Amino acid sequence: MTTLQQIIAITVMNLKGLRQRFWQSSAAIFSIALVITVMVGFLSMADGFEKTVAGTGSDKVAIIIREGSLSELTSGLSLEQAKLLSTAPGVAKLNGEPLASFELFVIVDLLKKSTGLSVNAPMRGIDRTSLSLRENVKIIEGRMFEPGRNEIVVGNNAREQFAGLDLGDTISFGNTEWRVVGVFDAGGSVFESELWADAKVVQTFYNRGTSYQSVRMKLAGPDSLQEIKAFAENDPRLNVDIKTEADYYAEQSKPLTTLIRWIGYPLAFVMALGALAGALNTMYTSVLARMGEITTLRALGFGAFPSFIGILTESIIIAVFGSAIGLGLAFVLFDGMLVSTLNGASFTQAVFEFSISAQLVKHALALAIVVGFVGGFFPALRAARMPIAEAFRITQT
Amino acid sequence: MTYFRLLRKNLTRKKLRLFLTIFSIFTAFLIFGVLKTFDHALNAGVELAGADRLITTSKVSLIQPLPFAHYTKIKATEGVKNVTHASWFGGYYQEPKNFLASFAVDAESYLDIYPEIFIPEDQRTNFLANQRGVLVGEALVQQYNWKIGDTLPLISSIWTNQDGSRTWEFQVEGIFYDKEEQFDTRSLMFHYDYFNEGRAGARDSIGWLIIKTESPELNEAVSKAIDDQFANSPNETKTDTEAAFGKAFLEQFGNIGLIITSVVGAAFFTILLVAGNTMVLAVRERTNEIAVMKTLGFSNGRIFTLIVLEALLLVLLGGLPALGVSWFMVEALKSAVGGGLPPMALTPEILLQAIAYMLLLGFVTGGLPAFNAVRINVAAALGRKAI
Repeated sequence: MTTLQQIIAITVMNLKGLRQRFWQSSAAIFSIALVITVMVGFLSMADGFEKTVAGTGSDKVAIIIREGSLSELTSGLSLEQAKLLSTAPGVAKLNGEPLASFELFVIVDLLKKSTGLSVNAPMRGIDRTSLSLRENVKIIEGRMFEPGRNEIVVGNNAREQFAGLDLGDTISFGNTEWRVVGVFDAGGSVFESELWADAKVVQTFYNRGTSYQSVRMKLAGPDSLQEIKAFAENDPRLNVDIKTEADYYAEQSKPLTTLIRWIGYPLAFVMALGALAGALNTMYTSVLARMGEITTLRALGFGAFPSFIGILTESIIIAVFGSAIGLGLAFVLFDGMLVSTLNGASFTQAVFEFSISAQLVKHALALAIVVGFVGGFFPALRAARMPIAEAFRITQT
Repeated sequence: MTYFRLLRKNLTRKKLRLFLTIFSIFTAFLIFGVLKTFDHALNAGVELAGADRLITTSKVSLIQPLPFAHYTKIKATEGVKNVTHASWFGGYYQEPKNFLASFAVDAESYLDIYPEIFIPEDQRTNFLANQRGVLVGEALVQQYNWKIGDTLPLISSIWTNQDGSRTWEFQVEGIFYDKEEQFDTRSLMFHYDYFNEGRAGARDSIGWLIIKTESPELNEAVSKAIDDQFANSPNETKTDTEAAFGKAFLEQFGNIGLIITSVVGAAFFTILLVAGNTMVLAVRERTNEIAVMKTLGFSNGRIFTLIVLEALLLVLLGGLPALGVSWFMVEALKSAVGGGLPPMALTPEILLQAIAYMLLLGFVTGGLPAFNAVRINVAAALGRKAI
């Protein structure tokens, strides 16, 4: 037999043997599958959250809140301040009007569908300009609210996550009633977790007089942010914080991203190491138990190299098989799962989706191959190198 | 050979396997230690809730203020023993990253309703007497080195005072401790009157109310009586027990905590399962040897003890250092994540729980093969070798 034929023969024999060593092999497959499920599940959550945050907020839009407010929620700007801000240089204009939107951001209690418990849902009061500052928003069902009425449009994610937000539903906040007249898509961004209504109506409902909480402005060019900052600093009537919208949202979600980074990743890493040790151990035990068999083959004239490759292949196949099961499980359990959590200083729910990307699948498979390779390499090397006489002696005692 | 030497020899016969098994167990308990601490911290508020305390908030949302008049009205409601109120100040010290849980409260009733806030008697008297006094938690004092008598300027992210600035000056009059392990002392409280008279807007509004009922059995009736009283008014309320309120609040962090704990919890058990499996197999390989020992006159009891002890030793060698390392990890986490998390502590309960799991794992993985070992028929076992 040629070396290739020998390799094939041994590999086939090893793989057939997997069924006889059912408990051993399933322990290995099971452990790898679980680790892959856990890792992919966790990373798809991290990815999904980061995607949602990265998709929210444009770097061509400035958001302005009262200085030191930390978030829109605790900010307050008077109508005069808002109007003054919209006259700043650097604000893009459309038909001679500055592209500036005055907004309110408040919390309403809604029931979360999955738990039936009430949570802080974000409600935003917007004006006519607001939509032109959010290019990825489009109404996918129903229509926009009519100014001056108790009507709301809801983000698609909000509708999925919270109860009572279907088109045509009437929902009461305190003792006011609102009708859901439309559903919008915002490309999965944080905005899609929100409920939008006419800013003027929200002002009345929340006793806010004529005040607002944030002003958003389209930047005319790359230096516009600096121009607006300089403008605000030179006017004593304005004590405000100015950021790009993209920076603002990255900051808002920082507590959660830190948590993921500091608890999630280290634990995932430790877990992977633990699994690797488990896989190595299983493979060692399995090879050792078969030392007699392997030695017999070699005594029959099979080469050391084919035995080595045979064991290595077996190990890698076990790992890949396990990771395929793990990936399948992760897809069933997690992919597309919609969850929400309290997002940082905005103190409201942000809804996001678990997403298993092709990249993640590649990483999982790569990890499995590494585990399989390392797990098989050393035991295979040992089995192939051991002098035949010695090996027989070991298996006999 | 002495007993111990035999144990050691058995354990170290395959050094690589020993190392790998110990390492697996180590990782499993490391995950356990860190996660349990995290989980415990998240749930601390619920466990500490007083059974006879209710919380009333605006029905619209937690942030919507209620009129001060609600306080007097609720006080007169039947079944209510005591009422206090609090308002969120949203303060920070020097810069936004030093965000503090800070409240304006009706001091006397607040301290009555929360007996777990422990302060020395003289400090309590001084605090109650000084309108600008502030009571700070022990943990904050340690973090910022504040002393009694210090003037403490705090910046509010929400409230402007009458001179148009958001900096409010207080005087540290007392330091409160927690007698239980987990009460959050990273908070501070000061007098509502000083705050209310000083603020530029939203006068005479309060954030939420805490009610102590005559007895826990009355909780439901009192909640209903309060909410009915304000139904159809511009300021409807929602009253819940403190435990339900805390739980609902935690629920807001929602799935994240649950996902991390359940998913990684699954990993903990898998790693243990795989490690346990290896340990069982390791003993089974020695069937012959055990038969020889029996022939030599080792009693069943001795063999059983020997195998179980070996398994226990293995588990403890992996598990105990893991608890030590998780302590360091928790400390590192605390300084890395800082204010964003509830107070974390690797409590004795968690340690005991981990050790209980170790013992269980040791007994199961040692006990199973040990049980088989004492049952083996010497002749059959020795015969197996010949095949």
